[in-house]
Amino acid sequence: MKVPISWLSEFIELKESPERIAEILTIGGVEVEAIENPYENLGDLIAVKILEVYEPEDLKDLVLCKVTDGKETYTVLTTAKKQVKPNLIVGLAKPESFTFSGEKVEVKAVKKFKSYGMFLSPYEAGLGEEKEKLLVLPENAPLGESIYKILGISEKVLDLAITPNRGDLLSILGVAREIHTLTSWEFNPPNFENAIKTGEKFPGKIEILDKDGCFRYAGRFFGNIKVKESPFYIQKRLWLCGLRPINNIVDITNYVLLELGQPLHAFDWEKIEDKTILIRKAYPGEKLLMLDGVERTFTEEDLVIADAKKPMVLAGIMGGEESGVSENTKNIFLESAWFNQKRIRKSSQRHRITTESSYRFERNIDPEGVVLGLLRASELISKIAEPEILSEIVDVYPKHFIPPQISLFNQKLTKYLGFSIPSEEVEKILKKIGQVRRSGYGFQFIPFSYRQDLRIPEDLVEEVARIYGYDKIPSSFPRSTLHCQSPSKILIFEKKLKDILKSLGFSEVITYSFIDPKTLEKLNLEKNDPRLNFIELANPLSSNQSIMRTTLIPGLIETACFNFFREVNSLKIFEIGKIFLPTEDLLAKEPLYLGILLMGNTNKETWYENLRKFDIYDLKGYLASLFEILKVNVDFKPYSSETFLKRGVSFDLYLDGEKIGFAGEMKNLVLKEFDLKTCVFIAEINLQSLFEKIETLEKEFIVKKPPKYPSTFRDVTCIIKKQIKIKEILDFVKTLSIPYLEAVDCIKIYEGSPIPEGEKSITIRFWYRAEDRTLKDKEVNEIQDSVAKKIFERFSAKPR
Amino acid sequence: MISEEIEKLKKEVWENFEKIQDLSHLENFRVKYLGKKGKITFLLKSLKDLSLEEKRRLGKELNELRDQLERKLKIKEREILFKEEDKDLGLDLTLPGRSFSVGTLHPLSQVIGELCDIFSRLGFEIVTGPEIETEYYNFTALNIPDWHPARDMQATFYLKNGALLRTHTSPMQIRTMLERKPPLRIIAPGKVYRCDADVRHSPMFHQLEGLMVDKDVSFADLKGVLTYFAKETFGKKTRVRFRPSYFPFTEPSLEMDIECVICKGKGCRVCGEAGWLEILGAGMVHPEVFNAVNYDTETWQGFAFGLGIERITMIKYGIDDIRMFFENHLSFLQSFK
Repeated sequence: MKVPISWLSEFIELKESPERIAEILTIGGVEVEAIENPYENLGDLIAVKILEVYEPEDLKDLVLCKVTDGKETYTVLTTAKKQVKPNLIVGLAKPESFTFSGEKVEVKAVKKFKSYGMFLSPYEAGLGEEKEKLLVLPENAPLGESIYKILGISEKVLDLAITPNRGDLLSILGVAREIHTLTSWEFNPPNFENAIKTGEKFPGKIEILDKDGCFRYAGRFFGNIKVKESPFYIQKRLWLCGLRPINNIVDITNYVLLELGQPLHAFDWEKIEDKTILIRKAYPGEKLLMLDGVERTFTEEDLVIADAKKPMVLAGIMGGEESGVSENTKNIFLESAWFNQKRIRKSSQRHRITTESSYRFERNIDPEGVVLGLLRASELISKIAEPEILSEIVDVYPKHFIPPQISLFNQKLTKYLGFSIPSEEVEKILKKIGQVRRSGYGFQFIPFSYRQDLRIPEDLVEEVARIYGYDKIPSSFPRSTLHCQSPSKILIFEKKLKDILKSLGFSEVITYSFIDPKTLEKLNLEKNDPRLNFIELANPLSSNQSIMRTTLIPGLIETACFNFFREVNSLKIFEIGKIFLPTEDLLAKEPLYLGILLMGNTNKETWYENLRKFDIYDLKGYLASLFEILKVNVDFKPYSSETFLKRGVSFDLYLDGEKIGFAGEMKNLVLKEFDLKTCVFIAEINLQSLFEKIETLEKEFIVKKPPKYPSTFRDVTCIIKKQIKIKEILDFVKTLSIPYLEAVDCIKIYEGSPIPEGEKSITIRFWYRAEDRTLKDKEVNEIQDSVAKKIFERFSAKPR
Repeated sequence: MISEEIEKLKKEVWENFEKIQDLSHLENFRVKYLGKKGKITFLLKSLKDLSLEEKRRLGKELNELRDQLERKLKIKEREILFKEEDKDLGLDLTLPGRSFSVGTLHPLSQVIGELCDIFSRLGFEIVTGPEIETEYYNFTALNIPDWHPARDMQATFYLKNGALLRTHTSPMQIRTMLERKPPLRIIAPGKVYRCDADVRHSPMFHQLEGLMVDKDVSFADLKGVLTYFAKETFGKKTRVRFRPSYFPFTEPSLEMDIECVICKGKGCRVCGEAGWLEILGAGMVHPEVFNAVNYDTETWQGFAFGLGIERITMIKYGIDDIRMFFENHLSFLQSFK
């Protein structure tokens, strides 16, 4: 809502600067987003001196002027042949600037001549009526300076963000009234004493058929008017408020809307069939070509203003093209009404139209301002459009508005605010916004008709606090009983996971919950994969954010891409977030997932270390550490069935017989489709399942004492067939029930010369320890010899 | 004569002792005086021809000298060995140290964590809830009926089945109050969604909701709690101001501003010359909201607040483009180590 200071000052004596007024309003709850200067916003409108004037033969009505802004010279074409002469200082709108009429100035060329801007008339400069005259500036005007600075002209406009409850502030009058409430500066409401209240008999008929849609409908007939351009002061005020002038009648309706907040609509009387005006529900399927050139089809929920045959206006929102005022209009009917805000809102939503008028009706208008709006417009029309006939005012108002009565008890006010404001002060404040009567332990209050937002005692608490000043109410801490609940276990689990992953060197990422369905296609999932059963947005911003994610993988890979193309060659990231799965119900299943991604190199190339690429054992190692800290025994089952992983380099992760995730290397083809030219390892784990399993499996954790006696180890090195997996050997060792064996692990693997093709050399280390004594070499050797023998036999191993 | 020799030897021994520089010196010295053929050993042997009394006197003197010398040599040897290890020329320590990859939590996670800590200190409990919501929880129960223009304040993503992506964390007020009896004190951090995308708006962002319901928690208490939060988050000297505002689910409603962290209130581009930065919205819980969850408005009153995590993070760290949070450039993330 734009409020020109100059217009505002017609209604209130402004005792402070625009900046201070902005502060008063903001602190009072009417946020001033900016103080604008519309003249400055036009761009470079500057003083230039005409140096020379040429009249090239082939340019007919145009002359070419060479001008200077004190620094540079340009050529400008103009039609003002008779007015330009050397040494004259005039206003020039430079290319890229705008003029009052809204035209964007551009470099123009006529034949071989170029025009770097446009000479301004007083009208195009937004300073006066004259369109034909050149704006001539004083002889001593500094060249290149803004014409408005030279002429000392400035207009400041407050740009207000009005909250949806305060429809009464959507007018200059309303803002003036609010400033009065907040400051008590002298308020001069518009005076309707001399308004033209009577006239000839209304030559038509008005009937409200839908009394739920329209509460009050008033109108007036004007005969033999002159439709023409508005006087400059009206145009300027509309322009200051961001509206375009159209013709005097339309401009007046807009002017009154801005000034008083009462939307008006003018009809061409001749287009009204049978001179009958009906406010009724639209018939289903009824159509109307509207002022924005769009034909809309109505439903029964829409409210229309119709004549005997057809709808003319979508009530309170927008008029039809046919019934609107045009240059040829002679007689008009002017409407001023109060429509049901809910009905207007729903229609405007359904048809996706918001107008100055619908915006105000949705936020509710002053029921008692309906006729005042009509009177104000009558005054302006009489002055500007010279009507020969004015009818009486018809005011159909079947059920008068009764404002609510609200009781506010002192105790309630004090308890709510935690602070006591003296009763006299409260009374003074309430009197500014309604009628007040003291009663018992509080007040009986009736709000003024324009304060449609005041309904319940709490509304009054806010008004009192607001006008008294939020900053004057002290701060305190709540007094309350302690009531402690156990914190949510899954939140603690989530935090623990984040801390573990951070300590393993991972950076956390957060990606969008909505993804591109195409990214799922790239994963090449099986047709019946549950991840393809996703939830779609009805109104996505774009197709690449149109479905709710069913896996974290696309987001992680796109993050990898983003980094890869910005010269990040090593990436170690994780994300913990929800995925979304449809249910029978409206709501979705939203299990928490963990995604992990490794890309490129493990390290940077340095003086102490060569580059190494991430491999599957890095991923396995990180996951193993994670599970170790969580104290869960997760089974890494080679190989995963996930279609986007390289089968031979992947695991499915199982816990207690249930698949909780997978890990592996992404297929090159998939990465290629994501435009990623490096290797990527990825893992995804259903944290919900993991968490629930851990909760059910939860064992008491008891710390083991550190051992008292030393351990000793023995190695077995042998050559075995390449396809034998280490786990087979370790599993075999387990079956042997070896005494004193504390741990066993593979510590070396070697393939290649001199080991024959198809075979590998491995070293397995066995750690032995007794709890109660130091083991003797001899006994360990005996045990180990027998173990080694069994391994050699079982795996047909050869000594190295 | 022997006693003279002893005196001479003593002098010689201590003079030479001072000259010991390194381990080989020290070894020579030890051999020369304390070795089997050393001078002290020799003199001790030559005492055998003297009178018993002299033998005792001089023997004691020589033994003391030997013991003293042995003690001092041990100390000397340790000193030399210590110095020995410093003889190296020194490495090129201008080379960088080996680097370790240090992980980091996302800045938004960090800020959420900090805020949760702050409110936990005040006894607020953390709750979470669904991101896909119904119109009822997101709007209707919060006193925003379908015809209400306040719905324009929050451009909503709808799902094809008629559900929606929550536009704020406020549905958690309703969910918590339906689940529990008052009094209660909760915060609810989480993701929220609005159809808006530019430098300052992201279609997905994070909020933290707060709600306290008790017998007499007041507007003044709300101011107190929010002021504490602001000072804990932005520094003890942070100035705050409260402006009346409007939210359908609170009455009275307010917005809190903090003094601009960039210009300290003088007015700059960041704060739009206002000197203040809007931080959050809050207010006393609207009676219609209590009615929706069947809380008796005669007994219970409360306050609620909602704040944008991205906005707070942007102000705290001078970030001017909200999209950076979701691009996840490694160097951006790593700067929050």
